[in-house]
Amino acid sequence: MTKVTMTVNGKAVSKEVSGNTLMTEFLRDELHLTGTHVGCDTSQCGACVIHVDGQSVKACTMFAGEAEGASVTTIEGMANADGSLSVIQQAFQDHHGLQCGFCTPGMVMTAAALLKENPKPSEHEVRDYLEGNICRCTGYHNIVKAILAASGQDVSGIAAE
Amino acid sequence: MPKDHGIGASQKRREDVRFLTGAGQYTDDISTYGQTYCVFLRSDVAHGTINNLDTSDAEAMPGVVRIFTGKDFEGIGGLPCGWQVTDKNGEPMKEPAHPVLAQGKVRHVGDPIAAVVAESLEEARNAAEAIVYDIDELPAVVDMKAALEAGAAKVHDDLDDNLCYDWQFGSDQAAIDEAFSNAAHVTTLDLINNRLVANPMEPRVALGEYNRANDESTLYTTSQNPHVIRLLMGAFVLGIPEHKLRVVAPDVGGGFGTKIFHYAEEAFVTFASRQINRPVKWTSTRSEAFMSDAHGRDHVTKIELALDADNNFIGLRTDTLANMGAYLSTFSSSVPTWLHGTLMAGNYKTPAIQVNVKAVFTNTVPVDAYRGACRPEATFQLERLVDKAARELGVDPIALRRQNFIDSFPYSTPVAVEYDTGDYTATMDKLEEMIDREGFEPAARRARPMASCAGSASTAISRPAALRRRTSWVSSARAPVSMTPPRCG
Repeated sequence: MTKVTMTVNGKAVSKEVSGNTLMTEFLRDELHLTGTHVGCDTSQCGACVIHVDGQSVKACTMFAGEAEGASVTTIEGMANADGSLSVIQQAFQDHHGLQCGFCTPGMVMTAAALLKENPKPSEHEVRDYLEGNICRCTGYHNIVKAILAASGQDVSGIAAE
Repeated sequence: MPKDHGIGASQKRREDVRFLTGAGQYTDDISTYGQTYCVFLRSDVAHGTINNLDTSDAEAMPGVVRIFTGKDFEGIGGLPCGWQVTDKNGEPMKEPAHPVLAQGKVRHVGDPIAAVVAESLEEARNAAEAIVYDIDELPAVVDMKAALEAGAAKVHDDLDDNLCYDWQFGSDQAAIDEAFSNAAHVTTLDLINNRLVANPMEPRVALGEYNRANDESTLYTTSQNPHVIRLLMGAFVLGIPEHKLRVVAPDVGGGFGTKIFHYAEEAFVTFASRQINRPVKWTSTRSEAFMSDAHGRDHVTKIELALDADNNFIGLRTDTLANMGAYLSTFSSSVPTWLHGTLMAGNYKTPAIQVNVKAVFTNTVPVDAYRGACRPEATFQLERLVDKAARELGVDPIALRRQNFIDSFPYSTPVAVEYDTGDYTATMDKLEEMIDREGFEPAARRARPMASCAGSASTAISRPAALRRRTSWVSSARAPVSMTPPRCG
């Protein structure tokens, strides 16, 4: 067992974990932050995307020990301080960018990473950036629309799907 | 014009806030005090006899609580099919035993051989790898036509062959023979509706919990259908009275049909939690989902349309092979029959329609309802056939449809459904206007995907509202109540 210490959603945490504990297991089982989902366990689906020191990472393919000393943000840390939905989260609700909700945490985390890198992405850039995130319900159109809307761009001309 | 209230208004969903903030509660998010973890050892061959199954080394591995095999389920019920189908000779369908854990034989890749219950998932995985077993591989049948040939390997030794049922529905033989003998033109089409894996984003999970103080069991499961699971598992598999069994289906991360059915893993964790008096949790991996979630579709169909000299549809005949897989999943038998045959009239006033379906056992993962559950298959067959007929006759495919639309209601189809209302002509008018069919030059049709879809976009679907209370696209249709009621057991 190894002791790992990191900041998760602004809170310092320290736990004993074994060397092969995955970041998803650490978040879900040790910290009970179950918003980070495991859809495939093999880096395909993107439901487990979190931010580690500002970088989007698939938590199912990272050991907890690799986040030693890091600042980690999960979906549970994405709302505004007063608990209201952030701009991206609100855009997902406004544009029906989710259905069953299982891929949604990963989609929101990926969207946040994109808009940090590229505050006004084109539709093509949004679709390209979502390459590592799979959704089985929505057909993606409304997710793309929500992300474009969250970037402050006018999406009124884009037909609802 | 956007509206802010009433019909047509955009409504915000109540569940979105919890899903968007990571506060959704999916089955794998639930863990209980004293919980153990379960891993299944699954067959890696399609068909075989289990000669030797030795769990003694695995039982001595760290953290192992108990290892279960088929022996632990001797005398306990198997998984029932929830819908009885009677074949064309009046015989009931063949319903072979579907054990929770394999009893001496494995019949598809993924068939569970043993289950390890341990203190941690890692320990359960390690112990499952330490189980010693020896399977004598048998010839497997995968192709349905080959499975029906004389001398084919049998999926179930206690059956005469691999035929589950031979079902016939609709017009009688004399009526259908007359229609085809009077035909000026017959269009024939062979179609394969391929098998698929539903793959919802959330893998299946089952958590069984037992309270020996009051003898009550609770199953948390990734389910679209908890009430039926309580009925089937309680009454037919484990013999637990309904008032002692609670099935909880929390947020579900997509199902597409495949989470409707009662699965072996649900019965296993409920059974095992009673045996060891601790909660037992199983979480499917994605690879495991391919081998253990019910698949969809998998039909091979020959469909024929008889037309008179004026291009009126006068007869329709279908012959379908429907793959059931190795066992009958909960609603598998109903899918190619009642959910499919009753739709074969489509929106056309074809006076004679006969649907023939042979359901076939193969050494493949069981097949059950998936997204539309055979209604899409029926519509696909029929509308592809109409398009082909139009091409063969050199007539406009939409005009051919318009000519044959049902135009008087109520209308009783030859396949047992009464349509109470509909206006297919008006719907087709609207469709042609929306796609600007007149405005498309052939070159533009090739260039624009929407245009090239015009033929299939003209497809209209009627769905029986009594089977599923949903208004169809172009009509509401009412199914009679004379259908065979679901049988359990």
